[in-house]
Amino acid sequence: MKQDHEKDSTQGSRNDSVIVLKGVTKKFGSKIVLDNVSLGIQKGQTTVVIGPSGCGKTVLIKHLIVLLRPSSGEVYYRDRRIDNLDENELNKVRTHYGFLFQGGALFDSLSVTENIIFPIRQHCEIKDWAQVEDLVKSKLAMVGLDGFQNYFSASLSGGQRKRVALARAIALNPEVILYDEPTTGLDPIHSDVISELILKLQRELGVTSVVVTHDMTMAYKVANRIIMLHNGKIIADGDADHIRNHPHPTVQQFVNGQVSQDDLAVLRMSGTVAQGQFLPRDFEQ
Amino acid sequence: MIGAVGARTIGGVNDIGRFARFVWQSMIASFRTSLSPCTYPLIWTQMYIIGVRSVPVVMITGAFVGMTLAVQAYDQLAGMGLEEHLGVLINISVVKELGPVLAAVMLAGRIGGALTAELGTMNVTEQIDAVRSMGTDPIRYLAAPRVLACLLLTPFLIIFADLMGIIGGYFVSVVTLGINSRAYWSFSASGVELWDVSIGVVKGFFFGVALAVISCYKGFTCKEGARGVGQACTEAFVSSFFSILALDFALAVIFKSIYNTFWPLKSLV
Repeated sequence: MKQDHEKDSTQGSRNDSVIVLKGVTKKFGSKIVLDNVSLGIQKGQTTVVIGPSGCGKTVLIKHLIVLLRPSSGEVYYRDRRIDNLDENELNKVRTHYGFLFQGGALFDSLSVTENIIFPIRQHCEIKDWAQVEDLVKSKLAMVGLDGFQNYFSASLSGGQRKRVALARAIALNPEVILYDEPTTGLDPIHSDVISELILKLQRELGVTSVVVTHDMTMAYKVANRIIMLHNGKIIADGDADHIRNHPHPTVQQFVNGQVSQDDLAVLRMSGTVAQGQFLPRDFEQ
Repeated sequence: MIGAVGARTIGGVNDIGRFARFVWQSMIASFRTSLSPCTYPLIWTQMYIIGVRSVPVVMITGAFVGMTLAVQAYDQLAGMGLEEHLGVLINISVVKELGPVLAAVMLAGRIGGALTAELGTMNVTEQIDAVRSMGTDPIRYLAAPRVLACLLLTPFLIIFADLMGIIGGYFVSVVTLGINSRAYWSFSASGVELWDVSIGVVKGFFFGVALAVISCYKGFTCKEGARGVGQACTEAFVSSFFSILALDFALAVIFKSIYNTFWPLKSLV
Protein backbone atom coordinates (compact mmCIF):
# COMPACT_ATOMS: atom_id res chain seq x y z
CA MET A 1 0.00 0.00 0.00
CA LYS A 2 2.73 2.39 1.03
CA GLN A 3 4.83 1.43 -1.95
CA ASP A 4 1.96 2.27 -4.30
CA HIS A 5 1.71 5.63 -2.64
CA GLU A 6 5.41 6.24 -3.18
CA LYS A 7 5.24 5.30 -6.85
CA ASP A 8 2.98 8.26 -7.58
CA SER A 9 3.13 10.95 -4.94
CA THR A 10 0.36 12.94 -6.61
CA GLN A 11 -2.25 10.21 -5.97
CA GLY A 12 -4.96 10.92 -3.43
CA SER A 13 -3.99 14.56 -3.11
CA ARG A 14 -4.58 16.03 -6.54
CA ASN A 15 -7.70 17.94 -5.57
CA ASP A 16 -6.06 19.86 -2.72
CA SER A 17 -2.64 20.12 -4.36
CA VAL A 18 -1.39 23.64 -4.99
CA ILE A 19 1.59 22.53 -7.08
CA VAL A 20 1.81 19.31 -9.06
CA LEU A 21 4.79 17.81 -10.87
CA LYS A 22 3.91 15.17 -13.46
CA GLY A 23 6.68 12.91 -14.72
CA VAL A 24 9.35 15.59 -14.43
CA THR A 25 12.78 14.65 -15.72
CA LYS A 26 15.70 17.08 -15.68
CA LYS A 27 18.96 16.46 -17.47
CA PHE A 28 22.12 18.57 -17.41
CA GLY A 29 24.01 17.33 -20.47
CA SER A 30 23.90 13.54 -20.19
CA LYS A 31 23.43 13.58 -16.40
CA ILE A 32 19.90 12.84 -15.20
CA VAL A 33 19.25 14.82 -12.00
CA LEU A 34 15.48 14.26 -11.71
CA ASP A 35 14.11 11.02 -13.11
CA ASN A 36 10.39 10.97 -13.90
CA VAL A 37 9.34 12.61 -10.61
CA SER A 38 5.61 12.98 -9.90
CA LEU A 39 4.59 14.92 -6.82
CA GLY A 40 1.67 16.92 -5.43
CA ILE A 41 2.25 19.68 -2.85
CA GLN A 42 -0.78 19.85 -0.57
CA LYS A 43 -2.34 23.14 0.39
CA GLY A 44 -1.59 24.52 3.85
CA GLN A 45 0.89 21.75 4.66
CA THR A 46 4.64 21.72 5.14
CA THR A 47 6.31 19.23 2.83
CA VAL A 48 9.96 18.51 3.57
CA VAL A 49 12.23 17.10 0.87
CA ILE A 50 15.24 15.25 2.26
CA GLY A 51 18.12 13.47 0.60
CA PRO A 52 21.90 13.35 0.43
CA SER A 53 23.89 16.22 -1.08
CA GLY A 54 23.71 16.25 -4.87
CA CYS A 55 20.56 14.11 -5.11
CA GLY A 56 18.57 16.85 -6.87
CA LYS A 57 16.69 18.53 -3.98
CA THR A 58 17.51 22.09 -5.05
CA VAL A 59 16.79 21.23 -8.69
CA LEU A 60 13.40 19.87 -7.59
CA ILE A 61 12.45 22.98 -5.57
CA LYS A 62 13.51 25.24 -8.46
CA HIS A 63 11.13 23.32 -10.73
CA LEU A 64 8.22 24.09 -8.40
CA ILE A 65 8.60 27.81 -9.25
CA VAL A 66 9.97 27.11 -12.76
CA LEU A 67 13.33 28.77 -12.11
CA LEU A 68 14.44 25.65 -14.01
CA ARG A 69 12.35 24.16 -16.79
CA PRO A 70 11.99 20.38 -16.99
CA SER A 71 13.62 18.43 -19.82
CA SER A 72 10.35 16.49 -19.97
CA GLY A 73 7.21 16.39 -17.83
CA GLU A 74 4.80 19.05 -16.63
CA VAL A 75 4.46 21.49 -13.73
CA TYR A 76 1.07 22.79 -12.58
CA TYR A 77 0.19 25.62 -10.21
CA ARG A 78 -3.48 25.56 -9.18
CA ASP A 79 -4.35 23.26 -12.11
CA ARG A 80 -2.70 25.60 -14.60
CA ARG A 81 0.29 24.28 -16.50
CA ILE A 82 3.15 26.71 -15.90
CA ASP A 83 6.32 25.06 -17.25
CA ASN A 84 5.46 26.13 -20.82
CA LEU A 85 4.62 29.77 -20.02
CA ASP A 86 6.86 32.59 -21.25
CA GLU A 87 8.83 34.56 -18.65
CA ASN A 88 6.32 37.45 -18.54
CA GLU A 89 3.45 35.10 -17.72
CA LEU A 90 5.62 33.18 -15.27
CA ASN A 91 6.53 36.39 -13.44
CA LYS A 92 2.84 36.90 -12.62
CA VAL A 93 2.58 33.33 -11.28
CA ARG A 94 5.77 33.77 -9.23
CA THR A 95 4.19 36.60 -7.21
CA HIS A 96 2.22 33.84 -5.44
CA TYR A 97 5.49 32.30 -4.24
CA GLY A 98 8.13 33.26 -1.71
CA PHE A 99 11.58 31.70 -2.05
CA LEU A 100 14.20 31.55 0.69
CA PHE A 101 17.54 30.78 -0.96
CA GLN A 102 20.29 28.77 0.65
CA GLY A 103 22.57 31.77 1.24
CA GLY A 104 19.68 34.23 1.65
CA ALA A 105 20.49 35.92 -1.70
CA LEU A 106 19.96 39.37 -0.19
CA PHE A 107 20.91 42.21 -2.53
CA ASP A 108 24.11 43.43 -0.90
CA SER A 109 23.86 46.91 -2.40
CA LEU A 110 20.48 47.48 -0.72
CA SER A 111 19.57 47.95 2.93
CA VAL A 112 17.29 45.57 4.82
CA THR A 113 14.30 47.86 4.18
CA GLU A 114 15.09 48.18 0.48
CA ASN A 115 15.44 44.39 0.20
CA ILE A 116 12.03 43.83 1.78
CA ILE A 117 10.25 46.45 -0.32
CA PHE A 118 11.91 45.21 -3.52
CA PRO A 119 9.05 42.86 -4.53
CA ILE A 120 6.46 45.43 -3.42
CA ARG A 121 8.09 48.10 -5.59
CA GLN A 122 8.16 45.76 -8.57
CA HIS A 123 4.49 44.81 -8.40
CA CYS A 124 2.60 47.55 -6.58
CA GLU A 125 2.40 51.28 -7.03
CA ILE A 126 3.52 52.77 -3.74
CA LYS A 127 1.47 55.82 -2.83
CA ASP A 128 1.80 55.89 0.92
CA TRP A 129 5.38 55.40 2.14
CA ALA A 130 4.30 55.44 5.79
CA GLN A 131 2.19 52.35 5.05
CA VAL A 132 5.21 50.65 3.44
CA GLU A 133 7.37 51.45 6.47
CA ASP A 134 4.72 49.89 8.69
CA LEU A 135 4.68 46.82 6.45
CA VAL A 136 8.47 46.46 6.62
CA LYS A 137 8.29 46.83 10.39
CA SER A 138 5.62 44.14 10.67
CA LYS A 139 7.49 41.72 8.39
CA LEU A 140 10.71 42.23 10.34
CA ALA A 141 8.82 41.82 13.62
CA MET A 142 7.52 38.45 12.36
CA VAL A 143 11.10 37.22 11.98
CA GLY A 144 12.23 38.93 15.19
CA LEU A 145 14.41 41.60 13.58
CA ASP A 146 12.48 44.83 14.02
CA GLY A 147 15.04 47.62 14.39
CA PHE A 148 17.37 46.28 11.69
CA GLN A 149 15.74 48.35 8.92
CA ASN A 150 18.84 50.36 8.01
CA TYR A 151 21.39 47.55 8.22
CA PHE A 152 23.13 46.19 5.15
CA SER A 153 23.58 42.49 4.38
CA ALA A 154 27.34 42.61 5.10
CA SER A 155 26.74 43.65 8.72
CA LEU A 156 24.29 40.82 9.49
CA SER A 157 25.11 37.34 10.77
CA GLY A 158 24.23 34.23 8.73
CA GLY A 159 21.06 33.59 10.75
CA GLN A 160 19.97 37.22 10.56
CA ARG A 161 20.50 37.24 6.79
CA LYS A 162 18.23 34.23 6.41
CA ARG A 163 15.58 35.82 8.59
CA VAL A 164 15.69 39.06 6.55
CA ALA A 165 15.49 36.94 3.38
CA LEU A 166 12.44 35.24 4.88
CA ALA A 167 10.88 38.64 5.64
CA ARG A 168 11.47 39.55 1.99
CA ALA A 169 9.98 36.22 0.84
CA ILE A 170 6.72 36.96 2.71
CA ALA A 171 6.54 40.62 1.64
CA LEU A 172 3.85 39.93 -0.97
CA ASN A 173 1.90 37.56 1.34
CA PRO A 174 2.60 34.53 -0.85
CA GLU A 175 0.50 31.41 -0.90
CA VAL A 176 3.52 29.11 -1.16
CA ILE A 177 6.92 29.52 0.52
CA LEU A 178 9.87 27.48 -0.73
CA TYR A 179 12.86 27.05 1.60
CA ASP A 180 16.15 25.85 0.10
CA GLU A 181 18.40 24.46 2.86
CA PRO A 182 17.25 27.09 5.41
CA THR A 183 19.49 25.83 8.23
CA THR A 184 22.71 25.18 6.31
CA GLY A 185 25.62 26.96 7.98
CA LEU A 186 23.67 27.79 11.15
CA ASP A 187 24.34 26.54 14.65
CA PRO A 188 21.68 24.29 16.28
CA ILE A 189 20.06 27.17 18.19
CA HIS A 190 19.68 29.38 15.12
CA SER A 191 18.51 26.33 13.14
CA ASP A 192 15.77 25.89 15.70
CA VAL A 193 14.84 29.57 15.39
CA ILE A 194 14.32 29.04 11.64
CA SER A 195 12.24 25.89 12.33
CA GLU A 196 10.05 27.86 14.75
CA LEU A 197 9.64 30.60 12.14
CA ILE A 198 8.49 28.08 9.54
CA LEU A 199 5.91 26.73 11.99
CA LYS A 200 4.84 30.26 12.95
CA LEU A 201 4.31 31.27 9.32
CA GLN A 202 2.28 28.15 8.64
CA ARG A 203 0.20 28.75 11.78
CA GLU A 204 -0.36 32.49 11.35
CA LEU A 205 -0.47 32.89 7.57
CA GLY A 206 -1.70 29.43 6.61
CA VAL A 207 0.92 29.18 3.87
CA THR A 208 1.90 26.06 1.98
CA SER A 209 5.58 25.34 2.57
CA VAL A 210 8.16 23.19 0.84
CA VAL A 211 11.42 22.78 2.72
CA VAL A 212 14.53 21.24 1.21
CA THR A 213 16.94 20.10 3.89
CA HIS A 214 19.19 17.35 5.16
CA ASP A 215 18.71 18.50 8.75
CA MET A 216 16.57 15.67 10.21
CA THR A 217 15.91 17.53 13.48
CA MET A 218 14.27 20.28 11.49
CA ALA A 219 12.52 17.85 9.15
CA TYR A 220 10.84 16.00 12.04
CA LYS A 221 9.89 19.28 13.71
CA VAL A 222 8.23 21.13 10.83
CA ALA A 223 7.04 18.41 8.44
CA ASN A 224 3.48 17.28 7.84
CA ARG A 225 4.96 15.12 5.11
CA ILE A 226 8.51 14.03 4.29
CA ILE A 227 9.75 12.98 0.85
CA MET A 228 13.13 11.40 0.32
CA LEU A 229 14.96 11.81 -2.98
CA HIS A 230 17.75 9.46 -4.02
CA ASN A 231 19.45 9.43 -7.42
CA GLY A 232 16.73 11.71 -8.80
CA LYS A 233 13.82 9.49 -7.71
CA ILE A 234 11.40 9.61 -4.78
CA ILE A 235 12.16 6.55 -2.66
CA ALA A 236 10.07 7.40 0.42
CA ASP A 237 6.99 9.53 1.03
CA GLY A 238 4.97 9.83 4.21
CA ASP A 239 4.74 11.44 7.64
CA ALA A 240 7.63 11.57 10.11
CA ASP A 241 6.81 8.17 11.69
CA HIS A 242 6.59 6.49 8.29
CA ILE A 243 10.04 7.84 7.33
CA ARG A 244 11.53 6.95 10.72
CA ASN A 245 10.43 3.31 10.33
CA HIS A 246 10.88 3.02 6.57
CA PRO A 247 12.33 -0.34 5.50
CA HIS A 248 14.48 1.02 2.66
CA PRO A 249 18.15 0.78 3.79
CA THR A 250 19.11 4.08 2.11
CA VAL A 251 16.33 5.86 4.04
CA GLN A 252 17.46 4.29 7.30
CA GLN A 253 21.10 5.23 6.67
CA PHE A 254 20.11 8.81 5.90
CA VAL A 255 17.72 9.45 8.78
CA ASN A 256 20.10 7.81 11.27
CA GLY A 257 23.17 9.51 9.82
CA GLN A 258 25.04 6.26 9.15
CA VAL A 259 27.77 5.80 6.59
CA SER A 260 27.09 3.05 4.04
CA GLN A 261 29.24 -0.09 3.71
CA ASP A 262 30.24 1.03 0.19
CA ASP A 263 31.54 4.37 1.51
CA LEU A 264 33.41 2.58 4.30
CA ALA A 265 35.06 0.31 1.76
CA VAL A 266 36.21 3.33 -0.24
CA LEU A 267 37.65 4.94 2.90
CA ARG A 268 39.56 1.73 3.71
CA MET A 269 40.97 1.53 0.18
CA SER A 270 42.16 5.16 0.24
CA GLY A 271 44.72 4.38 2.98
CA THR A 272 45.36 5.84 6.42
CA VAL A 273 47.62 8.41 8.01
CA ALA A 274 49.62 5.61 9.62
CA GLN A 275 50.36 4.18 6.17
CA GLY A 276 52.55 7.17 5.39
CA GLN A 277 50.37 10.09 4.34
CA PHE A 278 51.78 13.58 4.90
CA LEU A 279 50.46 15.81 7.62
CA PRO A 280 50.77 19.62 7.64
CA ARG A 281 53.36 19.37 10.44
CA ASP A 282 55.65 17.43 8.08
CA PHE A 283 56.18 20.69 6.20
CA GLU A 284 56.67 22.88 9.27
CA GLN A 285 60.46 22.87 9.43
CA MET B 1 38.12 13.51 -33.06
CA ILE B 2 35.23 14.27 -35.44
CA GLY B 3 32.81 13.97 -32.53
CA ALA B 4 34.82 16.48 -30.48
CA VAL B 5 34.92 18.98 -33.36
CA GLY B 6 31.20 18.51 -33.90
CA ALA B 7 30.41 18.99 -30.21
CA ARG B 8 32.54 22.13 -30.09
CA THR B 9 30.83 23.52 -33.21
CA ILE B 10 27.37 22.85 -31.80
CA GLY B 11 28.44 24.44 -28.50
CA GLY B 12 29.72 27.51 -30.35
CA VAL B 13 26.51 27.88 -32.36
CA ASN B 14 24.48 27.51 -29.13
CA ASP B 15 26.55 30.24 -27.47
CA ILE B 16 26.01 32.59 -30.40
CA GLY B 17 22.28 31.86 -30.31
CA ARG B 18 22.10 32.50 -26.56
CA PHE B 19 24.04 35.76 -26.93
CA ALA B 20 21.83 36.92 -29.84
CA ARG B 21 18.75 36.17 -27.74
CA PHE B 22 20.21 38.09 -24.78
CA VAL B 23 20.99 41.08 -27.03
CA TRP B 24 17.43 41.08 -28.38
CA GLN B 25 15.91 40.80 -24.87
CA SER B 26 18.21 43.57 -23.61
CA MET B 27 17.17 45.88 -26.45
CA ILE B 28 13.46 45.26 -25.82
CA ALA B 29 13.91 45.65 -22.05
CA SER B 30 15.94 48.86 -22.51
CA PHE B 31 13.26 50.33 -24.76
CA ARG B 32 10.55 49.51 -22.22
CA THR B 33 12.66 50.82 -19.34
CA SER B 34 13.24 54.10 -21.18
CA LEU B 35 9.44 54.56 -21.34
CA SER B 36 8.86 53.79 -17.67
CA PRO B 37 9.59 56.75 -15.35
CA CYS B 38 9.52 54.56 -12.22
CA THR B 39 12.74 52.84 -13.39
CA TYR B 40 14.60 56.13 -14.00
CA PRO B 41 16.26 56.10 -10.54
CA LEU B 42 17.98 52.82 -11.53
CA ILE B 43 19.32 54.50 -14.67
CA TRP B 44 20.52 57.61 -12.75
CA THR B 45 22.42 55.37 -10.33
CA GLN B 46 24.13 53.51 -13.17
CA MET B 47 24.84 56.78 -14.99
CA TYR B 48 26.67 58.04 -11.92
CA ILE B 49 28.68 54.83 -11.51
CA ILE B 50 29.40 54.37 -15.20
CA GLY B 51 29.60 57.95 -16.42
CA VAL B 52 30.63 60.39 -13.73
CA ARG B 53 33.28 58.16 -12.19
CA SER B 54 34.81 57.41 -15.59
CA VAL B 55 35.41 61.06 -16.53
CA PRO B 56 38.95 61.35 -15.07
CA VAL B 57 40.14 58.08 -16.67
CA VAL B 58 38.78 59.02 -20.08
CA MET B 59 40.14 62.60 -19.91
CA ILE B 60 43.63 61.43 -19.00
CA THR B 61 43.54 58.90 -21.86
CA GLY B 62 42.49 61.60 -24.33
CA ALA B 63 45.15 64.06 -23.17
CA PHE B 64 47.98 61.54 -23.58
CA VAL B 65 46.73 60.53 -27.03
CA GLY B 66 46.86 64.16 -28.22
CA MET B 67 50.28 64.84 -26.67
CA THR B 68 51.82 61.65 -28.06
CA LEU B 69 50.49 62.32 -31.55
CA ALA B 70 52.07 65.80 -31.49
CA VAL B 71 55.46 64.45 -30.45
CA GLN B 72 55.42 61.62 -33.01
CA ALA B 73 54.14 63.61 -36.02
CA TYR B 74 56.15 66.81 -35.57
CA ASP B 75 59.44 65.55 -37.07
CA GLN B 76 57.83 64.17 -40.23
CA LEU B 77 55.85 67.35 -40.90
CA ALA B 78 58.72 69.68 -39.95
CA GLY B 79 60.95 67.82 -42.41
CA MET B 80 58.58 68.87 -45.19
CA GLY B 81 58.09 72.37 -43.78
CA LEU B 82 54.47 71.58 -42.91
CA GLU B 83 54.70 71.76 -39.14
CA GLU B 84 51.88 74.30 -38.98
CA HIS B 85 49.57 71.58 -40.32
CA LEU B 86 50.22 69.49 -37.22
CA GLY B 87 46.87 70.58 -35.74
CA VAL B 88 44.91 69.01 -38.60
CA LEU B 89 46.65 65.68 -38.20
CA ILE B 90 46.29 65.59 -34.41
CA ASN B 91 42.71 66.80 -34.22
CA ILE B 92 41.30 64.70 -37.04
CA SER B 93 42.98 61.58 -35.63
CA VAL B 94 41.71 62.34 -32.15
CA VAL B 95 38.08 63.14 -32.94
CA LYS B 96 37.58 60.55 -35.66
CA GLU B 97 39.47 57.47 -34.50
CA LEU B 98 41.83 57.49 -31.54
CA GLY B 99 39.65 59.43 -29.09
CA PRO B 100 36.53 57.26 -29.52
CA VAL B 101 38.37 53.92 -29.77
CA LEU B 102 40.80 54.44 -26.89
CA ALA B 103 38.11 55.98 -24.67
CA ALA B 104 35.85 52.97 -25.39
CA VAL B 105 38.68 50.53 -24.65
CA MET B 106 39.35 52.29 -21.35
CA LEU B 107 35.63 52.08 -20.54
CA ALA B 108 35.59 48.37 -21.45
CA GLY B 109 38.35 47.86 -18.89
CA ARG B 110 36.92 50.08 -16.20
CA ILE B 111 33.17 49.57 -16.57
CA GLY B 112 33.00 46.26 -18.41
CA GLY B 113 35.07 44.44 -15.80
CA ALA B 114 33.07 45.98 -12.95
CA LEU B 115 29.71 45.16 -14.56
CA THR B 116 30.70 41.56 -15.21
CA ALA B 117 32.14 41.09 -11.72
CA GLU B 118 29.04 42.60 -10.07
CA LEU B 119 26.50 40.63 -12.11
CA GLY B 120 28.65 37.48 -12.01
CA THR B 121 28.80 37.62 -8.22
CA MET B 122 25.03 38.19 -8.12
CA ASN B 123 24.63 35.15 -10.35
CA VAL B 124 26.75 32.78 -8.26
CA THR B 125 25.16 33.97 -5.00
CA GLU B 126 21.68 33.33 -6.48
CA GLN B 127 20.71 37.02 -6.36
CA ILE B 128 19.66 36.90 -10.04
CA ASP B 129 17.50 33.85 -9.29
CA ALA B 130 16.09 35.80 -6.33
CA VAL B 131 15.06 38.62 -8.71
CA ARG B 132 13.33 36.06 -10.94
CA SER B 133 11.67 34.32 -8.00
CA MET B 134 10.05 37.62 -7.01
CA GLY B 135 8.42 37.89 -10.42
CA THR B 136 10.83 40.43 -11.90
CA ASP B 137 12.67 40.13 -15.19
CA PRO B 138 16.38 40.34 -14.27
CA ILE B 139 17.28 41.60 -17.74
CA ARG B 140 14.90 44.52 -17.30
CA TYR B 141 15.95 45.23 -13.70
CA LEU B 142 19.71 44.61 -13.96
CA ALA B 143 20.83 44.74 -17.60
CA ALA B 144 18.59 47.43 -19.12
CA PRO B 145 19.62 50.32 -16.79
CA ARG B 146 23.30 49.49 -17.41
CA VAL B 147 22.84 49.28 -21.18
CA LEU B 148 20.95 52.59 -21.23
CA ALA B 149 23.55 54.30 -19.05
CA CYS B 150 26.37 53.14 -21.35
CA LEU B 151 24.38 54.05 -24.46
CA LEU B 152 23.71 57.58 -23.26
CA LEU B 153 27.02 58.38 -21.61
CA THR B 154 29.71 56.81 -23.81
CA PRO B 155 29.29 59.54 -26.49
CA PHE B 156 29.66 62.23 -23.80
CA LEU B 157 32.75 60.55 -22.42
CA ILE B 158 34.17 60.45 -25.93
CA ILE B 159 33.57 64.21 -26.21
CA PHE B 160 35.59 64.63 -22.99
CA ALA B 161 38.37 62.45 -24.43
CA ASP B 162 38.33 64.45 -27.70
CA LEU B 163 38.46 67.74 -25.82
CA MET B 164 41.42 66.67 -23.72
CA GLY B 165 43.15 65.20 -26.80
CA ILE B 166 42.82 68.54 -28.58
CA ILE B 167 44.09 70.46 -25.54
CA GLY B 168 46.97 68.00 -25.03
CA GLY B 169 47.98 68.21 -28.71
CA TYR B 170 47.78 72.01 -28.65
CA PHE B 171 49.85 72.21 -25.48
CA VAL B 172 52.72 70.12 -26.88
CA SER B 173 52.57 71.64 -30.38
CA VAL B 174 52.35 75.31 -29.42
CA VAL B 175 53.88 75.55 -25.97
CA THR B 176 56.61 72.90 -26.25
CA LEU B 177 57.37 72.68 -29.99
CA GLY B 178 56.81 76.38 -30.69
CA ILE B 179 54.28 76.21 -33.55
CA ASN B 180 52.39 79.44 -34.18
CA SER B 181 49.11 79.26 -32.31
CA ARG B 182 47.04 81.16 -34.88
CA ALA B 183 48.30 78.99 -37.76
CA TYR B 184 47.72 75.84 -35.68
CA TRP B 185 44.05 76.64 -35.10
CA SER B 186 43.52 78.04 -38.58
CA PHE B 187 44.68 74.84 -40.30
CA SER B 188 42.80 72.72 -37.77
CA ALA B 189 39.55 74.59 -38.44
CA SER B 190 39.92 74.18 -42.18
CA GLY B 191 40.77 70.47 -42.00
CA VAL B 192 38.42 69.14 -39.32
CA GLU B 193 34.73 69.22 -40.17
CA LEU B 194 31.65 68.80 -38.06
CA TRP B 195 31.18 65.49 -39.90
CA ASP B 196 34.47 64.17 -38.47
CA VAL B 197 33.50 65.11 -34.92
CA SER B 198 30.02 63.61 -35.39
CA ILE B 199 31.41 60.29 -36.62
CA GLY B 200 33.40 59.91 -33.41
CA VAL B 201 30.42 60.75 -31.23
CA VAL B 202 28.02 58.46 -33.11
CA LYS B 203 30.53 55.62 -32.76
CA GLY B 204 30.20 56.13 -29.02
CA PHE B 205 26.56 54.94 -29.05
CA PHE B 206 27.57 51.67 -30.72
CA PHE B 207 30.64 51.13 -28.53
CA GLY B 208 28.62 51.84 -25.37
CA VAL B 209 25.87 49.35 -26.22
CA ALA B 210 28.40 46.70 -27.30
CA LEU B 211 30.48 46.82 -24.13
CA ALA B 212 27.42 46.96 -21.86
CA VAL B 213 25.61 44.05 -23.50
CA ILE B 214 28.73 41.86 -23.65
CA SER B 215 29.63 42.59 -20.02
CA CYS B 216 26.09 41.94 -18.78
CA TYR B 217 25.87 38.70 -20.79
CA LYS B 218 29.16 37.44 -19.37
CA GLY B 219 27.96 38.30 -15.85
CA PHE B 220 24.59 36.57 -16.35
CA THR B 221 26.22 33.40 -17.71
CA CYS B 222 29.24 33.30 -15.41
CA LYS B 223 30.26 29.93 -13.99
CA GLU B 224 30.33 29.26 -10.26
CA GLY B 225 33.17 30.20 -7.96
CA ALA B 226 35.82 32.90 -7.79
CA ARG B 227 37.53 31.40 -10.83
CA GLY B 228 34.29 31.57 -12.82
CA VAL B 229 33.83 35.27 -12.04
CA GLY B 230 37.46 36.04 -12.88
CA GLN B 231 37.23 34.16 -16.16
CA ALA B 232 33.98 35.96 -17.06
CA CYS B 233 35.65 39.37 -16.44
CA THR B 234 38.58 38.46 -18.69
CA GLU B 235 36.28 37.17 -21.43
CA ALA B 236 34.11 40.29 -21.15
CA PHE B 237 37.09 42.62 -21.65
CA VAL B 238 38.58 40.63 -24.54
CA SER B 239 35.20 40.30 -26.30
CA SER B 240 34.41 43.99 -25.77
CA PHE B 241 37.83 44.99 -27.07
CA PHE B 242 37.45 42.97 -30.29
CA SER B 243 33.86 44.18 -30.72
CA ILE B 244 34.98 47.79 -30.45
CA LEU B 245 37.68 47.27 -33.08
CA ALA B 246 35.31 45.38 -35.41
CA LEU B 247 32.56 47.97 -34.96
CA ASP B 248 35.07 50.76 -35.58
CA PHE B 249 36.06 49.18 -38.91
CA ALA B 250 32.44 48.52 -39.96
CA LEU B 251 31.34 52.04 -39.03
CA ALA B 252 34.33 53.57 -40.83
CA VAL B 253 33.28 51.79 -44.03
CA ILE B 254 29.62 52.79 -43.60
CA PHE B 255 30.36 56.45 -42.82
CA LYS B 256 32.79 56.69 -45.72
CA SER B 257 30.12 55.35 -48.09
CA ILE B 258 27.59 57.85 -46.74
CA TYR B 259 30.08 60.71 -47.06
CA ASN B 260 30.96 59.76 -50.64
CA THR B 261 27.27 59.54 -51.52
CA PHE B 262 26.46 63.06 -50.32
CA TRP B 263 29.71 64.90 -51.02
CA PRO B 264 31.42 63.02 -53.88
CA LEU B 265 33.19 66.09 -55.32
CA LYS B 266 34.56 67.20 -51.95
CA SER B 267 35.88 63.72 -51.38
CA LEU B 268 37.81 63.85 -54.63
CA VAL B 269 39.30 67.25 -53.77
